Amino acid sequence: MDGIRSWFDYLSSRTDLVVETLLQTLTYVVSVTVAASIVSISVGVLTRHNPFAKELSLSIASVFLTIPSLALFTIFIPIVGLGFTPSFIAMFLYALLPILRNTVAGLDSVDSSVMESAKGMGLTPRQVLFRVQLPLAWPIILAGIRVSALLTVGISAIATLVAGGGLGDFIKSGLARLPLPNSLEAIWTGVILSLALALAVDLVLRTIGRFSNPSGVRS
Amino acid sequence: MSTPLVVDNPETLPARRNQSISQLDLIVIPVFFVLLAVLLSVVWIYSDFDGTTTSILEPERLWTQAQEQITVALLSTVLVIILAIPLGILVTREGAPRLKNNLVTVLGLGQALPAYGLLVLFFVAFGQGTLTVVLALAAFALLPVLRNTIVGLEQVDKSVIEAGKGMGLTGFQRLRKIELPLAVPVIMGGIRTATIINVGMATLAYLIGGGGLGITIAAGLKINRPVSIFVGAVLVALIALAFDFIGGLAQRYLRPKGL
Amino acid sequence: MNLNPQDPPQEEKSVTTPKISLRDVTKTYSGVDTPAVKDLNLDIASGEILVLVGPSGCGKSTTLRLINRMIEPSAGEIIFDGEDVTNSDPNELRRRMGYVIQQVGLFPHRTIAENIAIVPKSLKWPKDKIRARVDELLELTGMDPNVYRDRYPKELSGGQAQRVGVARALGAEPDVLLMDEPFGAIDPITRFNLQNEFLRLQSELKKTIVFVTHDIDEAVKMGDRIAILRDQSEIAQLDTPEAILTNPADIFVEDFLGAGAVLKTLTLRRLNDIQLVHAPTITERTNRSEAAAQLRQSDFPFAVLLDDSRRPIAWVNQADLDSSDPLASNSRRIPVKLEPEDTLQEALSVMLQTSAGMSAVVDSTGQYLGTCTIQSLAELLTEPPVDGDSL
Repeated sequence: MDGIRSWFDYLSSRTDLVVETLLQTLTYVVSVTVAASIVSISVGVLTRHNPFAKELSLSIASVFLTIPSLALFTIFIPIVGLGFTPSFIAMFLYALLPILRNTVAGLDSVDSSVMESAKGMGLTPRQVLFRVQLPLAWPIILAGIRVSALLTVGISAIATLVAGGGLGDFIKSGLARLPLPNSLEAIWTGVILSLALALAVDLVLRTIGRFSNPSGVRS
Repeated sequence: MSTPLVVDNPETLPARRNQSISQLDLIVIPVFFVLLAVLLSVVWIYSDFDGTTTSILEPERLWTQAQEQITVALLSTVLVIILAIPLGILVTREGAPRLKNNLVTVLGLGQALPAYGLLVLFFVAFGQGTLTVVLALAAFALLPVLRNTIVGLEQVDKSVIEAGKGMGLTGFQRLRKIELPLAVPVIMGGIRTATIINVGMATLAYLIGGGGLGITIAAGLKINRPVSIFVGAVLVALIALAFDFIGGLAQRYLRPKGL
Repeated sequence: MNLNPQDPPQEEKSVTTPKISLRDVTKTYSGVDTPAVKDLNLDIASGEILVLVGPSGCGKSTTLRLINRMIEPSAGEIIFDGEDVTNSDPNELRRRMGYVIQQVGLFPHRTIAENIAIVPKSLKWPKDKIRARVDELLELTGMDPNVYRDRYPKELSGGQAQRVGVARALGAEPDVLLMDEPFGAIDPITRFNLQNEFLRLQSELKKTIVFVTHDIDEAVKMGDRIAILRDQSEIAQLDTPEAILTNPADIFVEDFLGAGAVLKTLTLRRLNDIQLVHAPTITERTNRSEAAAQLRQSDFPFAVLLDDSRRPIAWVNQADLDSSDPLASNSRRIPVKLEPEDTLQEALSVMLQTSAGMSAVVDSTGQYLGTCTIQSLAELLTEPPVDGDSL
């Protein structure tokens, strides 16, 4: 089809730009997911014995997700300016809930008789956490990380509106130049590459899952 | 920009968690609301407005924009409910298991769609106008409601349905008296999520001429007026929090007793 | 008769230090007025199986879990091997005891071998010693190491899982095993086999075992001594199964034993414990009218028909003697012949199977020794016990 060919032309004449933008988005996704994982898993682990703290942290994290993306991206601008920082902060806050919720659910899901027998064998509480609870909760936690990463890919397009770069740039530029030539191709680039990136991220995380999920626990 | 069901695989979803509405939600949300409202008032009162800012932040304009945003969001939510719930019911009837599983996985990936991109594509396809905005919003908000309808119906205790069958209830009766009521908490959760998505995405509606408070934010960005940006952002956040709170109340009080 | 629940039965040598002692142990949960366990004093001898049994909520599981401090006592001391462990490192204490629970609690993400190896590994045993121990324990609990070593818990049946649970508890050769309703979640047939195997294992290993159950039959079967517990783990009676069954200390114990208690004592006695009675014996060749007279004069409704090798064949009554049919052709054939080693319970069930209400006892060659009647059983059950703690 004509449309597809013109899209490929568009891409091939701008490979540098495409790659650079792709990498920008990838940087966001990786850094946000790693940061959010560290924070969320830590909070989930630290609050595991305290129901109130658990619920409180979940409520707070879910409030962040309630706030509309454009608002969250822009609300910190008066303090931190434009560009990478407000984008990172917004995406980070969004990414917290899925991982936190799954960490809590995962830790809760470990059979109490397994915990009881672990304690009864003289494993210290730390040993129980690291050798029994976390490994068994890991598949659920990883599922949360996966959801979070996908979410981040989707949101990252908004970064363009605050001069944060990323694949959203293509969409913005395309929209601005409609109906001039190459405007449509620009928009499609933004959308399709986002989807492609999402699939890639999903695949990578599922593969990590296959290798890191403990055997003997659900296939 | 969505609040997805975080556990991708319905099997691993701890059923109780999805149904239980944290009491704390109904406290934390108002607390954030008040904090932001106070912050907004402080900023409003103590900032110096220059000419441009004053005109951007004229209360009437803000009010109109807010109305536009809320209207579009509600229309989309209604549309989504009308489409997604029947579809979810259909897909969970006996005889379509693989279709359903694939659908649920696809819906999971759909979270990664860039809302921004989708909005623009709808604009390209359908032109400017409220309808375009509503359709774009609905396309995005469909995912959580459809998914929660499916998961909500699936997690109903099979033995209760079986008992209903044994009492001579027809398929439709079982749906109406057993499956749907017991799935309400989960489905409500999806509707609540969808509403928030809609309010949020409606902020972006300005990009395709759909009005809304995004105009204020964008104006502030364009001419570098941080106060406008902030006011616009906070107002949008307040509206979203209000809707979330209402949704939380609905989820709590529409749940069948005894669950 | 020993009615004091706190004194140990007289067979026990008072010079041996108990393996585990609970002294004035109390456990009160915050927010609850009545303690779950109150002023409990209990000594557990080395090498014995002590069963804690009682109604739901009496505190037996709590008591068990106080021993390895899964629950910390509110007051009192726990003495293990002569050492006060009430305030020592609980994790270290638990590594010295095996702990088996009803739902087993195997780590699903570890192989069976890895599960069994957990405590030895914590104690830093060398790898080959661990490997050898795992195989040894699997064999000991009746599972082929080559088949089960690398399997995962989800592949096991309930009975197999609990065998691994026991193997795991024995991992680092603890002297003590604490078992909380270990066979409760298993079907009756498998449970029966597991109980027997466990008793066999114990006869080899001679561990000190504290065993909790709500099932009085299991308690009687497994226990060297039984502690019947009331609310707040108050000991209603602590003694051997025979002593408790024949002399319940009070109404609570009687009620707990249930109407079947008397019948349960039948499992503990054998035919060679009782006097057999001698019904008149006849053969095909005996003169019928003489036999009839003999039978009339005796107290018995039936005579025993013997064959030429003195093996009992059938029960014969007056009507049979009066008729002209061959004696062996009547319907009261003796189907099962008991031997002196058989328990009284088996005797009773045989007696109930024939309309004669009697059973024939034979020696190892099958020759008639005597008869056991329901009457003689009933007399036995109302006699005082013959062993040590009477009068």
